Amino acid sequence: MADAVTKKADQDSLQDVVARYPEVPRLIIIKTDVQRRGVFYTERALGVLDETLHQVTGTHIFGTRDGQIEARPESLLLRDGTSIITTPTPLDQNPYLVDLIDGKLWLVDGGEPIEAVDYWPAPDFYALTSSSGIPMKNIVSARPQRLNIFPYRYCTFWNNGKGCTFCDIVCQLKKGKEELQIPARLNPVEVGEVVGEALREPGRFSAVFLTSGSITSGREPFDDEVDYYIEILGEVGKNFRTKKYPSQIIGTAFNERQLERLYKETGLMSYTADIEVLNEDLFNRHCPGKAEWIGYREWKRRLVAAVDIFGPGRVNTGLVAGIELAKPYGFTSEDVALKRVLEEAEELASQGVGTVFIVWSPRPDTLLGDQKNASLDYYIRLAKGLHDLRVKYRLPIGYDDYRHCGNHPDSDLSRLLPY
Amino acid sequence: MPKLNAEILHLLDQSTTTRVVATADEFGQPYAVASPFLHAGPEGELVHLELLEKSATNRNLLRSLWFDKKISVTLTGADGTSYVIQGKPVKAEISGPVFRHHYQQVRALLGDADLAAVWLIEPEEFVNETYTVQKQEEEERFPFSVHLDRLAVETVKR
Repeated sequence: MADAVTKKADQDSLQDVVARYPEVPRLIIIKTDVQRRGVFYTERALGVLDETLHQVTGTHIFGTRDGQIEARPESLLLRDGTSIITTPTPLDQNPYLVDLIDGKLWLVDGGEPIEAVDYWPAPDFYALTSSSGIPMKNIVSARPQRLNIFPYRYCTFWNNGKGCTFCDIVCQLKKGKEELQIPARLNPVEVGEVVGEALREPGRFSAVFLTSGSITSGREPFDDEVDYYIEILGEVGKNFRTKKYPSQIIGTAFNERQLERLYKETGLMSYTADIEVLNEDLFNRHCPGKAEWIGYREWKRRLVAAVDIFGPGRVNTGLVAGIELAKPYGFTSEDVALKRVLEEAEELASQGVGTVFIVWSPRPDTLLGDQKNASLDYYIRLAKGLHDLRVKYRLPIGYDDYRHCGNHPDSDLSRLLPY
Repeated sequence: MPKLNAEILHLLDQSTTTRVVATADEFGQPYAVASPFLHAGPEGELVHLELLEKSATNRNLLRSLWFDKKISVTLTGADGTSYVIQGKPVKAEISGPVFRHHYQQVRALLGDADLAAVWLIEPEEFVNETYTVQKQEEEERFPFSVHLDRLAVETVKR
Protein backbone atom coordinates (compact mmCIF):
# COMPACT_ATOMS: atom_id res chain seq x y z
CA MET A 1 0.00 0.00 0.00
CA ALA A 2 2.74 2.42 1.01
CA ASP A 3 4.62 1.61 -2.19
CA ALA A 4 1.49 2.32 -4.18
CA VAL A 5 1.22 5.73 -2.51
CA THR A 6 4.85 6.45 -3.29
CA LYS A 7 4.42 5.44 -6.92
CA LYS A 8 1.37 7.67 -7.26
CA ALA A 9 3.20 10.57 -5.59
CA ASP A 10 6.03 10.10 -8.08
CA GLN A 11 3.66 10.73 -10.95
CA ASP A 12 1.94 13.79 -9.47
CA SER A 13 2.03 16.97 -11.44
CA LEU A 14 2.61 20.33 -9.85
CA GLN A 15 -1.10 21.03 -10.25
CA ASP A 16 -2.02 17.78 -8.46
CA VAL A 17 0.05 18.74 -5.44
CA VAL A 18 -1.20 22.35 -5.43
CA ALA A 19 -4.77 21.03 -5.43
CA ARG A 20 -4.04 18.49 -2.69
CA TYR A 21 -2.58 21.05 -0.27
CA PRO A 22 -4.70 24.22 -0.47
CA GLU A 23 -3.24 25.33 2.86
CA VAL A 24 0.28 25.44 1.36
CA PRO A 25 1.04 28.46 -0.83
CA ARG A 26 1.30 27.60 -4.51
CA LEU A 27 4.50 29.64 -4.71
CA ILE A 28 6.19 27.52 -2.06
CA ILE A 29 5.12 24.35 -3.85
CA ILE A 30 6.55 25.76 -7.07
CA LYS A 31 9.79 26.67 -5.34
CA THR A 32 10.08 23.17 -3.90
CA ASP A 33 9.43 21.52 -7.23
CA VAL A 34 11.95 23.73 -9.00
CA GLN A 35 14.53 22.81 -6.37
CA ARG A 36 13.58 19.18 -6.83
CA ARG A 37 13.82 19.17 -10.61
CA GLY A 38 16.33 21.96 -11.24
CA VAL A 39 16.28 24.53 -14.01
CA PHE A 40 17.53 24.93 -17.54
CA TYR A 41 18.15 28.45 -18.80
CA THR A 42 17.21 29.03 -22.43
CA GLU A 43 19.47 31.08 -24.66
CA ARG A 44 16.86 33.84 -24.57
CA ALA A 45 16.91 33.84 -20.77
CA LEU A 46 20.70 33.89 -20.68
CA GLY A 47 20.62 36.69 -23.24
CA VAL A 48 19.21 39.13 -20.68
CA LEU A 49 21.67 38.13 -17.95
CA ASP A 50 23.71 41.22 -17.21
CA GLU A 51 26.57 40.97 -14.71
CA THR A 52 26.18 44.62 -13.82
CA LEU A 53 22.55 44.05 -12.79
CA HIS A 54 22.30 40.38 -11.89
CA GLN A 55 24.21 37.97 -9.76
CA VAL A 56 26.02 35.36 -11.77
CA THR A 57 27.29 32.14 -10.23
CA GLY A 58 29.73 32.95 -7.47
CA THR A 59 31.79 31.14 -4.90
CA HIS A 60 29.77 27.96 -4.72
CA ILE A 61 31.05 25.58 -2.13
CA PHE A 62 28.98 22.83 -3.80
CA GLY A 63 28.58 21.98 -7.48
CA THR A 64 25.79 22.07 -10.04
CA ARG A 65 23.59 19.31 -11.34
CA ASP A 66 25.05 19.60 -14.81
CA GLY A 67 28.61 19.63 -13.47
CA GLN A 68 29.50 22.85 -15.31
CA ILE A 69 31.10 25.99 -13.98
CA GLU A 70 29.97 28.87 -16.18
CA ALA A 71 28.66 32.38 -15.74
CA ARG A 72 24.96 31.72 -15.25
CA PRO A 73 22.26 33.25 -13.07
CA GLU A 74 23.03 32.63 -9.42
CA SER A 75 19.39 31.86 -8.69
CA LEU A 76 15.83 33.12 -8.83
CA LEU A 77 13.38 35.23 -6.88
CA LEU A 78 9.64 34.67 -6.86
CA ARG A 79 7.23 37.59 -6.55
CA ASP A 80 6.64 37.00 -2.83
CA GLY A 81 10.34 37.48 -2.11
CA THR A 82 10.99 33.75 -1.91
CA SER A 83 14.32 32.61 -3.25
CA ILE A 84 14.61 29.50 -5.34
CA ILE A 85 18.10 28.20 -4.79
CA THR A 86 18.68 25.78 -7.58
CA THR A 87 21.28 24.89 -10.14
CA PRO A 88 21.36 24.32 -13.90
CA THR A 89 20.25 20.82 -14.73
CA PRO A 90 20.58 18.81 -17.96
CA LEU A 91 17.44 18.75 -20.09
CA ASP A 92 17.20 14.98 -19.99
CA GLN A 93 16.48 15.22 -16.26
CA ASN A 94 13.25 17.13 -16.94
CA PRO A 95 14.05 20.47 -15.28
CA TYR A 96 11.87 23.56 -15.42
CA LEU A 97 12.86 25.96 -18.15
CA VAL A 98 13.64 29.57 -17.41
CA ASP A 99 12.62 31.45 -20.53
CA LEU A 100 12.05 35.00 -21.69
CA ILE A 101 8.42 35.71 -22.62
CA ASP A 102 7.36 39.20 -23.69
CA GLY A 103 10.48 40.62 -22.12
CA LYS A 104 9.97 38.96 -18.74
CA LEU A 105 11.52 35.87 -17.21
CA TRP A 106 9.21 32.93 -16.57
CA LEU A 107 9.42 29.44 -15.20
CA VAL A 108 8.03 27.21 -17.93
CA ASP A 109 6.93 23.59 -17.67
CA GLY A 110 5.56 21.51 -20.51
CA GLY A 111 5.46 24.61 -22.68
CA GLU A 112 3.27 26.48 -20.18
CA PRO A 113 4.42 29.59 -18.30
CA ILE A 114 4.07 28.77 -14.61
CA GLU A 115 5.27 31.82 -12.73
CA ALA A 116 7.26 35.00 -13.34
CA VAL A 117 10.73 35.12 -11.77
CA ASP A 118 13.56 37.59 -11.38
CA TYR A 119 17.27 36.98 -11.34
CA TRP A 120 18.94 37.87 -8.08
CA PRO A 121 20.15 41.48 -8.15
CA ALA A 122 23.91 42.00 -8.18
CA PRO A 123 25.34 43.61 -5.06
CA ASP A 124 27.54 46.66 -5.53
CA PHE A 125 30.67 44.98 -4.17
CA TYR A 126 30.65 42.32 -6.90
CA ALA A 127 32.20 44.88 -9.22
CA LEU A 128 35.15 45.53 -6.89
CA THR A 129 38.45 43.86 -6.08
CA SER A 130 40.03 43.48 -2.67
CA SER A 131 43.20 45.28 -1.62
CA SER A 132 45.20 42.20 -2.67
CA GLY A 133 43.60 42.22 -6.10
CA ILE A 134 41.13 39.34 -5.72
CA PRO A 135 37.62 39.94 -7.08
CA MET A 136 35.54 40.55 -3.96
CA LYS A 137 32.85 38.17 -5.20
CA ASN A 138 35.41 35.37 -4.96
CA ILE A 139 35.86 36.10 -1.27
CA VAL A 140 32.30 36.77 -0.12
CA SER A 141 29.19 35.96 -2.12
CA ALA A 142 25.63 37.13 -1.75
CA ARG A 143 22.06 36.05 -1.62
CA PRO A 144 19.30 38.64 -1.94
CA GLN A 145 19.77 39.63 1.71
CA ARG A 146 22.65 37.54 2.99
CA LEU A 147 26.43 37.66 2.86
CA ASN A 148 27.93 34.20 2.33
CA ILE A 149 31.38 33.46 3.62
CA PHE A 150 32.91 30.09 2.83
CA PRO A 151 36.20 30.38 4.74
CA TYR A 152 37.58 26.94 4.02
CA ARG A 153 36.56 25.04 0.95
CA TYR A 154 37.95 21.66 1.93
CA CYS A 155 36.49 19.12 4.34
CA THR A 156 38.96 16.97 6.23
CA PHE A 157 36.47 14.13 6.51
CA TRP A 158 37.61 13.37 2.97
CA ASN A 159 41.19 12.74 4.13
CA ASN A 160 40.38 9.10 4.76
CA GLY A 161 37.59 8.92 2.22
CA LYS A 162 34.79 9.54 4.70
CA GLY A 163 33.08 12.50 3.10
CA CYS A 164 29.30 12.59 2.96
CA THR A 165 27.78 10.58 0.13
CA PHE A 166 25.75 13.51 -1.25
CA CYS A 167 28.59 16.04 -1.06
CA ASP A 168 30.93 17.29 -3.79
CA ILE A 169 32.81 19.94 -1.80
CA VAL A 170 36.28 18.63 -2.61
CA CYS A 171 35.56 18.19 -6.30
CA GLN A 172 34.09 21.69 -6.41
CA LEU A 173 37.12 23.07 -4.58
CA LYS A 174 39.36 21.80 -7.36
CA LYS A 175 37.12 23.24 -10.04
CA GLY A 176 36.78 26.55 -8.21
CA LYS A 177 40.51 26.82 -7.73
CA GLU A 178 41.37 26.00 -11.31
CA GLU A 179 38.54 27.70 -13.17
CA LEU A 180 37.57 30.63 -10.97
CA GLN A 181 40.77 31.27 -8.99
CA ILE A 182 38.81 31.17 -5.75
CA PRO A 183 41.13 30.87 -2.73
CA ALA A 184 40.70 27.59 -0.86
CA ARG A 185 41.27 29.30 2.47
CA LEU A 186 40.20 32.88 2.95
CA ASN A 187 42.29 35.56 4.59
CA PRO A 188 40.20 36.79 7.58
CA VAL A 189 41.37 40.39 7.17
CA GLU A 190 40.33 40.34 3.55
CA VAL A 191 36.92 38.89 4.48
CA GLY A 192 36.46 41.77 6.91
CA GLU A 193 37.40 44.22 4.18
CA VAL A 194 34.83 42.79 1.75
CA VAL A 195 32.06 42.73 4.36
CA GLY A 196 32.81 46.36 5.14
CA GLU A 197 32.46 47.20 1.47
CA ALA A 198 29.23 45.19 1.19
CA LEU A 199 27.68 47.11 4.09
CA ARG A 200 28.03 50.34 2.15
CA GLU A 201 25.08 49.26 0.03
CA PRO A 202 21.96 50.55 1.78
CA GLY A 203 19.31 48.00 2.66
CA ARG A 204 20.94 45.10 0.89
CA PHE A 205 22.05 42.70 3.61
CA SER A 206 20.40 41.46 6.75
CA ALA A 207 22.65 38.56 7.73
CA VAL A 208 26.20 37.27 7.73
CA PHE A 209 26.56 33.57 7.11
CA LEU A 210 29.57 31.30 7.38
CA THR A 211 30.11 27.70 6.50
CA SER A 212 33.10 25.64 5.60
CA GLY A 213 34.18 22.06 5.44
CA SER A 214 34.91 20.41 8.77
CA ILE A 215 38.44 20.76 10.11
CA THR A 216 39.20 17.90 12.45
CA SER A 217 42.58 19.14 13.65
CA GLY A 218 43.40 20.98 16.87
CA ARG A 219 44.16 20.34 20.52
CA GLU A 220 40.70 18.83 20.70
CA PRO A 221 39.08 17.75 17.43
CA PHE A 222 37.68 20.77 15.56
CA ASP A 223 39.51 23.35 17.67
CA ASP A 224 41.18 24.60 14.49
CA GLU A 225 37.81 24.99 12.81
CA VAL A 226 36.49 26.97 15.80
CA ASP A 227 39.65 29.11 15.94
CA TYR A 228 39.27 29.93 12.26
CA TYR A 229 35.62 30.88 12.61
CA ILE A 230 36.47 33.09 15.58
CA GLU A 231 39.21 34.78 13.60
CA ILE A 232 36.91 35.42 10.64
CA LEU A 233 34.01 36.58 12.80
CA GLY A 234 36.38 38.88 14.67
CA GLU A 235 37.36 40.62 11.44
CA VAL A 236 33.73 40.73 10.27
CA GLY A 237 32.68 42.10 13.65
CA LYS A 238 34.98 45.11 13.28
CA ASN A 239 32.45 46.44 10.79
CA PHE A 240 29.63 46.62 13.36
CA ARG A 241 29.00 48.99 16.24
CA THR A 242 27.16 46.27 18.19
CA LYS A 243 28.93 43.25 19.65
CA LYS A 244 26.28 40.90 18.25
CA TYR A 245 25.00 41.13 14.68
CA PRO A 246 22.55 38.91 12.77
CA SER A 247 24.67 35.94 11.82
CA GLN A 248 24.68 32.19 11.47
CA ILE A 249 27.25 29.49 11.00
CA ILE A 250 26.71 26.02 9.78
CA GLY A 251 29.57 24.28 11.52
CA THR A 252 30.46 20.87 12.81
CA ALA A 253 28.71 19.82 16.03
CA PHE A 254 31.08 21.43 18.50
CA ASN A 255 31.41 20.56 22.17
CA GLU A 256 30.23 22.94 24.90
CA ARG A 257 33.63 24.55 25.39
CA GLN A 258 33.91 25.28 21.70
CA LEU A 259 30.33 26.56 21.52
CA GLU A 260 30.90 28.85 24.50
CA ARG A 261 33.95 30.30 22.78
CA LEU A 262 32.04 30.89 19.56
CA TYR A 263 29.25 32.64 21.40
CA LYS A 264 31.30 34.69 23.84
CA GLU A 265 34.23 35.66 21.65
CA THR A 266 32.31 36.67 18.52
CA GLY A 267 29.20 38.45 17.32
CA LEU A 268 27.61 35.17 16.30
CA MET A 269 23.87 35.02 17.09
CA SER A 270 22.79 31.58 15.88
CA TYR A 271 24.24 28.16 15.39
CA THR A 272 23.50 25.33 13.00
CA ALA A 273 25.11 21.92 12.84
CA ASP A 274 23.67 19.87 10.01
CA ILE A 275 22.91 16.29 10.93
CA GLU A 276 21.87 15.77 7.28
CA VAL A 277 19.61 12.76 7.89
CA LEU A 278 17.50 11.92 10.94
CA ASN A 279 18.19 8.24 11.33
CA GLU A 280 21.20 6.77 13.06
CA ASP A 281 21.85 3.95 10.62
CA LEU A 282 21.49 6.22 7.58
CA PHE A 283 23.64 8.90 9.23
CA ASN A 284 26.39 6.34 9.72
CA ARG A 285 26.15 5.34 6.07
CA HIS A 286 25.79 8.78 4.48
CA CYS A 287 27.98 10.79 6.84
CA PRO A 288 30.79 8.41 7.78
CA GLY A 289 33.17 11.24 8.72
CA LYS A 290 30.67 12.82 11.08
CA ALA A 291 29.92 9.38 12.48
CA GLU A 292 33.60 8.61 13.00
CA TRP A 293 34.56 11.87 14.69
CA ILE A 294 31.41 12.67 16.65
CA GLY A 295 28.67 10.09 16.25
CA TYR A 296 24.95 10.43 15.77
CA ARG A 297 23.82 10.57 19.38
CA GLU A 298 26.62 12.91 20.40
CA TRP A 299 25.77 15.17 17.43
CA LYS A 300 22.24 15.47 18.72
CA ARG A 301 23.36 15.96 22.29
CA ARG A 302 25.64 18.81 21.24
CA LEU A 303 22.78 20.47 19.35
CA VAL A 304 20.69 20.42 22.49
CA ALA A 305 23.62 21.71 24.54
CA ALA A 306 23.97 24.61 22.12
CA VAL A 307 20.48 25.81 23.05
CA ASP A 308 21.72 26.64 26.56
CA ILE A 309 24.43 28.80 25.02
CA PHE A 310 22.76 30.46 22.04
CA GLY A 311 19.23 30.42 23.41
CA PRO A 312 15.97 28.76 22.36
CA GLY A 313 15.09 29.43 18.76
CA ARG A 314 18.71 30.17 17.87
CA VAL A 315 19.91 26.62 17.19
CA ASN A 316 18.90 24.25 14.45
CA THR A 317 20.01 21.42 12.25
CA GLY A 318 19.63 20.82 8.55
CA LEU A 319 18.57 17.83 6.51
CA VAL A 320 19.44 16.94 2.95
CA ALA A 321 15.92 15.72 2.47
CA GLY A 322 15.54 12.77 0.19
CA ILE A 323 18.73 10.92 1.00
CA GLU A 324 16.76 8.98 3.61
CA LEU A 325 15.11 7.31 0.60
CA ALA A 326 18.31 6.71 -1.39
CA LYS A 327 18.98 3.16 -2.46
CA PRO A 328 19.92 0.63 -1.30
CA TYR A 329 19.76 1.41 2.42
CA GLY A 330 17.07 4.08 2.58
CA PHE A 331 13.46 3.79 3.58
CA THR A 332 11.47 2.08 0.87
CA SER A 333 8.32 4.09 1.54
CA GLU A 334 7.94 7.85 1.70
CA ASP A 335 5.22 7.48 4.35
CA VAL A 336 7.52 5.58 6.66
CA ALA A 337 10.42 7.95 5.98
CA LEU A 338 8.27 10.96 6.78
CA LYS A 339 6.98 9.47 10.01
CA ARG A 340 10.44 8.52 11.23
CA VAL A 341 12.05 11.82 10.25
CA LEU A 342 9.33 13.88 11.93
CA GLU A 343 9.49 11.76 15.08
CA GLU A 344 13.18 12.52 15.47
CA ALA A 345 12.69 16.17 14.51
CA GLU A 346 10.07 16.42 17.24
CA GLU A 347 12.45 14.96 19.79
CA LEU A 348 14.87 17.78 18.92
CA ALA A 349 12.17 20.46 18.75
CA SER A 350 10.94 19.54 22.22
CA GLN A 351 14.45 20.42 23.44
CA GLY A 352 14.64 23.73 21.61
CA VAL A 353 16.41 22.60 18.45
CA GLY A 354 14.74 23.39 15.15
CA THR A 355 15.05 21.36 11.98
CA VAL A 356 15.06 22.69 8.43
CA PHE A 357 15.58 20.88 5.17
CA ILE A 358 17.01 21.49 1.76
CA VAL A 359 15.79 19.52 -1.21
CA TRP A 360 18.46 16.99 -2.08
CA SER A 361 19.66 17.58 -5.61
CA PRO A 362 21.80 14.65 -6.73
CA ARG A 363 24.93 16.10 -8.29
CA PRO A 364 27.19 14.23 -10.69
CA ASP A 365 30.36 14.43 -8.60
CA THR A 366 28.79 12.73 -5.58
CA LEU A 367 28.42 9.08 -4.67
CA LEU A 368 24.65 9.34 -4.98
CA GLY A 369 24.81 11.34 -8.20
CA ASP A 370 22.89 8.83 -10.29
CA GLN A 371 19.89 8.62 -7.96
CA LYS A 372 16.60 10.52 -7.87
CA ASN A 373 15.31 12.68 -5.10
CA ALA A 374 11.90 12.25 -3.45
CA SER A 375 8.46 13.16 -4.78
CA LEU A 376 7.06 16.67 -4.57
CA ASP A 377 4.31 15.33 -2.35
CA TYR A 378 6.92 14.09 0.10
CA TYR A 379 8.74 17.41 0.26
CA ILE A 380 5.51 19.32 0.83
CA ARG A 381 4.46 16.99 3.63
CA LEU A 382 7.91 17.33 5.16
CA ALA A 383 7.76 21.14 4.94
CA LYS A 384 4.35 21.14 6.61
CA GLY A 385 5.50 18.70 9.27
CA LEU A 386 8.59 20.71 10.23
CA HIS A 387 6.61 23.95 10.19
CA ASP A 388 3.96 22.38 12.43
CA LEU A 389 6.65 21.37 14.92
CA ARG A 390 7.90 24.96 14.93
CA VAL A 391 4.38 26.06 15.81
CA LYS A 392 3.85 23.34 18.42
CA TYR A 393 7.08 24.15 20.26
CA ARG A 394 7.01 27.87 19.44
CA LEU A 395 10.46 27.87 17.88
CA PRO A 396 11.37 31.07 16.03
CA ILE A 397 13.31 30.65 12.79
CA GLY A 398 14.15 34.28 12.07
CA TYR A 399 17.84 33.48 11.56
CA ASP A 400 17.19 30.86 8.88
CA ASP A 401 14.10 32.14 7.07
CA TYR A 402 13.41 33.34 3.52
CA ARG A 403 15.33 36.53 4.22
CA HIS A 404 18.36 35.04 5.96
CA CYS A 405 18.71 31.88 3.92
CA GLY A 406 15.98 31.14 1.41
CA ASN A 407 16.80 27.47 0.93
CA HIS A 408 14.17 25.89 3.18
CA PRO A 409 10.55 25.41 2.07
CA ASP A 410 9.59 24.66 5.69
CA SER A 411 10.89 27.96 7.03
CA ASP A 412 9.22 29.79 4.13
CA LEU A 413 5.93 28.60 5.60
CA SER A 414 6.89 30.14 8.93
CA ARG A 415 6.86 33.65 7.45
CA LEU A 416 3.26 33.95 8.60
CA LEU A 417 4.10 33.23 12.23
CA PRO A 418 4.12 36.21 14.60
CA TYR A 419 7.39 35.03 16.19
CA MET B 1 -6.19 45.89 -13.82
CA PRO B 2 -8.44 48.99 -13.82
CA LYS B 3 -6.68 52.32 -14.11
CA LEU B 4 -6.76 54.55 -11.07
CA ASN B 5 -8.76 57.68 -11.93
CA ALA B 6 -7.45 61.22 -11.80
CA GLU B 7 -9.05 61.93 -8.42
CA ILE B 8 -7.32 58.95 -6.83
CA LEU B 9 -3.99 59.85 -8.38
CA HIS B 10 -4.46 63.39 -7.09
CA LEU B 11 -5.19 62.07 -3.59
CA LEU B 12 -2.07 59.95 -3.72
CA ASP B 13 -0.07 63.00 -4.73
CA GLN B 14 -1.19 65.10 -1.76
CA SER B 15 0.86 64.91 1.41
CA THR B 16 -2.25 65.74 3.46
CA THR B 17 -4.10 62.61 2.33
CA THR B 18 -4.76 59.99 5.00
CA ARG B 19 -3.89 56.50 3.70
CA VAL B 20 -5.07 53.33 5.39
CA VAL B 21 -4.37 49.72 4.41
CA ALA B 22 -6.81 47.12 5.72
CA THR B 23 -5.95 43.43 5.67
CA ALA B 24 -7.34 40.31 7.28
CA ASP B 25 -5.72 37.56 9.29
CA GLU B 26 -6.23 33.83 8.82
CA PHE B 27 -9.53 33.98 10.70
CA GLY B 28 -10.81 36.89 8.64
CA GLN B 29 -10.28 39.38 11.47
CA PRO B 30 -9.74 42.83 9.95
CA TYR B 31 -6.66 44.89 10.69
CA ALA B 32 -6.30 48.46 9.41
CA VAL B 33 -3.19 50.62 9.71
CA ALA B 34 -2.01 53.95 8.43
CA SER B 35 0.28 53.67 5.43
CA PRO B 36 1.98 57.06 5.24
CA PHE B 37 4.22 56.14 2.30
CA LEU B 38 1.47 54.69 0.11
CA HIS B 39 1.77 55.98 -3.44
CA ALA B 40 1.02 55.13 -7.04
CA GLY B 41 3.55 52.97 -8.85
CA PRO B 42 4.70 53.42 -12.44
CA GLU B 43 2.30 50.82 -13.81
CA GLY B 44 -0.80 51.97 -11.97
CA GLU B 45 -0.34 49.76 -8.95
CA LEU B 46 -0.44 50.96 -5.36
CA VAL B 47 2.87 50.79 -3.52
CA HIS B 48 2.84 50.17 0.23
CA LEU B 49 6.09 50.38 2.17
CA GLU B 50 6.05 47.91 5.02
CA LEU B 51 8.60 48.78 7.64
CA LEU B 52 8.35 45.76 9.92
CA GLU B 53 8.85 42.14 8.91
CA LYS B 54 6.67 40.62 11.61
CA SER B 55 3.91 43.23 11.64
CA ALA B 56 0.36 41.93 11.33
CA THR B 57 -0.01 43.88 8.10
CA ASN B 58 3.10 42.39 6.52
CA ARG B 59 2.00 38.89 7.39
CA ASN B 60 -1.54 39.56 6.23
CA LEU B 61 -0.32 40.98 2.92
CA LEU B 62 1.76 37.87 2.40
CA ARG B 63 -1.24 35.69 3.24
CA SER B 64 -3.29 37.62 0.69
CA LEU B 65 -0.63 37.17 -1.98
CA TRP B 66 -0.25 33.48 -1.21
CA PHE B 67 -3.94 32.65 -1.03
CA ASP B 68 -5.34 35.16 -3.50
CA LYS B 69 -7.31 37.28 -1.01
CA LYS B 70 -8.24 40.91 -1.40
CA ILE B 71 -7.14 43.78 0.77
CA SER B 72 -8.51 47.29 0.96
CA VAL B 73 -6.97 50.75 0.84
CA THR B 74 -8.76 53.91 1.97
CA LEU B 75 -7.64 57.38 0.92
CA THR B 76 -9.16 60.50 2.44
CA GLY B 77 -8.13 63.98 1.35
CA ALA B 78 -8.16 67.18 3.37
CA ASP B 79 -11.26 68.32 1.47
CA GLY B 80 -13.17 65.16 2.36
CA THR B 81 -12.67 63.39 -0.95
CA SER B 82 -12.38 59.73 -0.17
CA TYR B 83 -11.90 56.49 -2.09
CA VAL B 84 -11.89 52.87 -1.04
CA ILE B 85 -9.81 50.70 -3.35
CA GLN B 86 -9.92 46.94 -3.27
CA GLY B 87 -7.05 45.02 -4.72
CA LYS B 88 -4.57 42.22 -4.30
CA PRO B 89 -0.91 42.30 -3.31
CA VAL B 90 0.95 40.84 -6.27
CA LYS B 91 4.60 41.35 -5.45
CA ALA B 92 6.90 41.95 -2.49
CA GLU B 93 10.20 43.54 -3.46
CA ILE B 94 12.82 42.65 -0.86
CA SER B 95 16.03 43.35 -2.73
CA GLY B 96 17.24 45.26 -5.76
CA PRO B 97 17.02 48.82 -7.02
CA VAL B 98 13.34 49.47 -6.20
CA PHE B 99 13.79 48.22 -2.66
CA ARG B 100 16.96 50.20 -2.22
CA HIS B 101 15.33 53.41 -3.44
CA HIS B 102 12.51 53.12 -0.92
CA TYR B 103 14.82 51.99 1.87
CA GLN B 104 16.79 55.20 1.45
CA GLN B 105 13.60 57.24 1.19
CA VAL B 106 12.25 55.82 4.46
CA ARG B 107 15.50 56.39 6.30
CA ALA B 108 15.81 59.92 4.98
CA LEU B 109 12.43 60.70 6.48
CA LEU B 110 12.40 58.61 9.65
CA GLY B 111 16.04 58.35 10.64
CA ASP B 112 17.04 54.94 11.96
CA ALA B 113 14.18 52.97 10.40
CA ASP B 114 14.15 49.73 8.46
CA LEU B 115 12.14 48.50 5.50
CA ALA B 116 10.83 44.95 5.31
CA ALA B 117 9.19 44.92 1.89
CA VAL B 118 7.88 47.10 -0.89
CA TRP B 119 4.42 45.73 -1.62
CA LEU B 120 2.86 46.19 -5.02
CA ILE B 121 -0.93 46.09 -4.86
CA GLU B 122 -2.97 45.75 -8.03
CA PRO B 123 -6.25 47.66 -7.74
CA GLU B 124 -9.29 45.66 -8.82
CA GLU B 125 -12.13 48.05 -8.07
CA PHE B 126 -12.62 51.35 -6.34
CA VAL B 127 -15.53 53.23 -4.83
CA ASN B 128 -15.89 56.96 -4.37
CA GLU B 129 -16.63 57.12 -0.65
CA THR B 130 -16.69 60.92 -0.48
CA TYR B 131 -19.58 61.70 1.84
CA THR B 132 -21.32 64.17 -0.43
CA VAL B 133 -21.19 61.73 -3.33
CA GLN B 134 -22.43 58.81 -1.25
CA LYS B 135 -25.14 60.92 0.38
CA GLN B 136 -26.54 61.96 -2.95
CA GLU B 137 -26.53 58.42 -4.24
CA GLU B 138 -28.17 57.07 -1.10
CA GLU B 139 -30.92 59.64 -1.17
CA GLU B 140 -31.65 58.88 -4.81
CA ARG B 141 -31.60 55.11 -4.49
CA PHE B 142 -33.00 54.64 -1.00
CA PRO B 143 -35.59 57.36 -0.39
CA PHE B 144 -37.06 55.47 2.58
CA SER B 145 -33.82 55.66 4.59
CA VAL B 146 -34.17 59.31 5.46
CA HIS B 147 -35.23 60.55 8.91
CA LEU B 148 -38.40 62.56 8.58
CA ASP B 149 -37.23 65.51 10.66
CA ARG B 150 -34.77 66.26 7.85
CA LEU B 151 -37.72 66.66 5.51
CA ALA B 152 -39.87 68.60 7.91
CA VAL B 153 -40.55 72.33 7.38
CA GLU B 154 -39.33 74.69 10.05
CA THR B 155 -42.70 76.30 10.53
CA VAL B 156 -45.95 74.71 9.58
CA LYS B 157 -48.32 76.98 7.79
CA ARG B 158 -51.82 76.39 9.10
